[in-house]
Amino acid sequence: MIQFQAINETLTRRGAATLSWLRGWGSLIWFAYSALVHALSPATYNSATRSVIQKQIYFTAWQILPGYTLFAALLSFVIIQIVVSTARDFGLSDFALETVIRVLVLEILPLVTALFVALRSSAAINTEVALMNVHNEIKALEDLGVDAMQLEFIPRVIGGTLSVLALSTVSGLMALILAYVVVYGAHPWNFPAYTLVVSKIFDLGILLGLGFKVVLFGMAVTVIPISEGLRAPSKLFFVPIAVLRGMVRLFFVLMLIEVASLALKYI
Amino acid sequence: MAALPDSNRSPTLEEGLRFLGTDRVELKWVEDLAGGRSMIDSAPDSAVLVTEALPLRANLSVLENMAIVPQYRHDTPYEAAADQAWQLLSRLEVTAMAFKRDPDLTSEERFQAKFLRAIMAAPPIIVIDRPGQLLPDTHYPPFLGRCLATLENHFEQCWIVDYLWNEPLYAPR
Amino acid sequence: MERAPVRAPLIKNLEFKVGLLMVLTGIIALAFLIYVLHARGAFEDSQALVLTADNADGVSIGMPVTFSGFPIGQVRRMTLTDEGQVRLTVDVPEKNLRWLRSTSVFTLEKPLVGGAKIRAYTANLQDPALVPDAEIPLHTGDTSQEIPVIVAKVRAILENVQAMTQSGSSIDQTLTHVSTITGRMSGPYGLMEGVLGDGEKARKLVDTIDHANTVLKSVNGISLRVDGMLGKTEQRLFAEGGAMDEVQQSLAQINVLLREAQGSLKKADAILGNAEAISADVKGATTDIGTLRAEVDDSLNKVNHLINDINRIWPFKGEGELTLP
Repeated sequence: MIQFQAINETLTRRGAATLSWLRGWGSLIWFAYSALVHALSPATYNSATRSVIQKQIYFTAWQILPGYTLFAALLSFVIIQIVVSTARDFGLSDFALETVIRVLVLEILPLVTALFVALRSSAAINTEVALMNVHNEIKALEDLGVDAMQLEFIPRVIGGTLSVLALSTVSGLMALILAYVVVYGAHPWNFPAYTLVVSKIFDLGILLGLGFKVVLFGMAVTVIPISEGLRAPSKLFFVPIAVLRGMVRLFFVLMLIEVASLALKYI
Repeated sequence: MAALPDSNRSPTLEEGLRFLGTDRVELKWVEDLAGGRSMIDSAPDSAVLVTEALPLRANLSVLENMAIVPQYRHDTPYEAAADQAWQLLSRLEVTAMAFKRDPDLTSEERFQAKFLRAIMAAPPIIVIDRPGQLLPDTHYPPFLGRCLATLENHFEQCWIVDYLWNEPLYAPR
Repeated sequence: MERAPVRAPLIKNLEFKVGLLMVLTGIIALAFLIYVLHARGAFEDSQALVLTADNADGVSIGMPVTFSGFPIGQVRRMTLTDEGQVRLTVDVPEKNLRWLRSTSVFTLEKPLVGGAKIRAYTANLQDPALVPDAEIPLHTGDTSQEIPVIVAKVRAILENVQAMTQSGSSIDQTLTHVSTITGRMSGPYGLMEGVLGDGEKARKLVDTIDHANTVLKSVNGISLRVDGMLGKTEQRLFAEGGAMDEVQQSLAQINVLLREAQGSLKKADAILGNAEAISADVKGATTDIGTLRAEVDDSLNKVNHLINDINRIWPFKGEGELTLP
């Protein structure tokens, strides 16, 4: 009888945990949807939200732009060198440039950008939202007739997404330039050959897919921490747990997006 | 029915105390927490609460906390909203705290910031919930009265919800 | 009215910085989009031409069409007709159209290593220009399919050669007769019998043998050429970007040569038959019979050499060893 009770309790606990896990995903998807709807509605943009968006972009993208650009350039340079010299050894130089651009511009750089922003800004956003929730700041704003969702959260999603887009764009451009210089040298006369490779890689589907993926990354690095921060119970000791859960879920989602993008492109 | 003949002059503590209990500033006595809750609930929805439970936005300065309200509600440009807030701060002669954030404020400053933020929302009623909790280290009735009297042109009506046992504190001495 | 002293206390030039970053991002993205559109020929007038093939294995959208190793167009569309034919629509920018003439030949090459390639060949750039939307056959040359055909043809010749050298064949009989003559010559009167022939007929015999030698030499020459060509083919096959058209031309040439060789060998057969008749008639010639045998032997060795070489180049089970009986 006691054993039966134990099994029953365990099952109940498991069930509750699963339900809460599912609710987490549910609220995440709902939040992502409403963020998207709000982002597209002009009513979202007022003096206050614009300033939140600007600050978010400033902290997420502008502050790290020099350092991140340098890091992305270094990473790109090393990978380009490895691929180009290996390809040369195997007599596959024709494919080196294409491989490098595909690997860096389409896959690694957007993912690394998202991970970088996730480590830096998402953790901060998650903590801040959890603390706002604990301290009742959201209710305080609502009492003043200010919707915290529209003032604080949606602008962060917009700002974060634009930041990831900006960082990916800048680092991608850097990689494209570096690839040219490493493969062809710093002379302009091989530009037509380079153009041909670019035309081979980037068609409408690839460009749209890349844009879509980066937007998804940008949304993930803001939507997930906010949603997890909001979901945490209003107790101070839950804040670290909320951040931990948010970060794990974020990592999982980023990888899922990347794997899905790879599968769509190459399978 | 202005309490002060000259609105540019700061009211004295006595003038402030006299201002409390007029029909602009109603004192609502309650006997316990539940009574306080139901009193606050009886205020119209559009009323704005000044209470310990509703803090300032932690990552914004006092000025930004105030400016964000018209910025958000009326799409007022930051400059205009900040000017509006600055005007209120200087009326209370507390511009020194304009760029401080919540943790750096004294409880008096914090109360003033919350009250000014409520004024920025221009509600029909501002409800001050248990001022003793907001101003634990102050003989608060004269302080409250002086603040309210100074800002009398900037709000419609104010309720002060306080416990009955604090009533003697409001007596002039 | 008093004004707030500081606009945005926390961040200097926030709006400018963020605006700059966003505008920069927008410009980069837009510039890249325009560049890609340009790279894909969106701003160039291009002409479509349709290549038809039976099999488009290895062809992909965006695959370049090259002329002299330079890309001049790209495959835009691939469709399969109701007849099971593949139609490849190729976009060629106006500026590259001058390389393509109505006589241009298009080949699809599938080297053993690396991707397939579509190449255009224009023999004469002064030929009339290509008709817009022209349908042009795409020659699909598959090296691994062509080579067995050559080998089969080469083998036919070898069988012929073998037939000539089989016991009972003309050459065999000739040699038997020759050996009879030499046997007689080894006798005390044998030489005399040999010498006492018709001088005219003896000369004829010598001429005929000479002729046979020449023919065999030419066969040898052909074999060397075939060898060279197979060597070349091999080289092209395993070299990067083997030139398919040349292989095809070579194959055609080989075909012709082999047919020639076949003819020559038949001729040689006939001549040797003739020689046999003569030698049977003469029953002994003054010429050095040993030399004749050595030369025939040599020629057969050369044919053997050819077979060995072909075996070496293309690993077929060799059954074509030629031996003198």
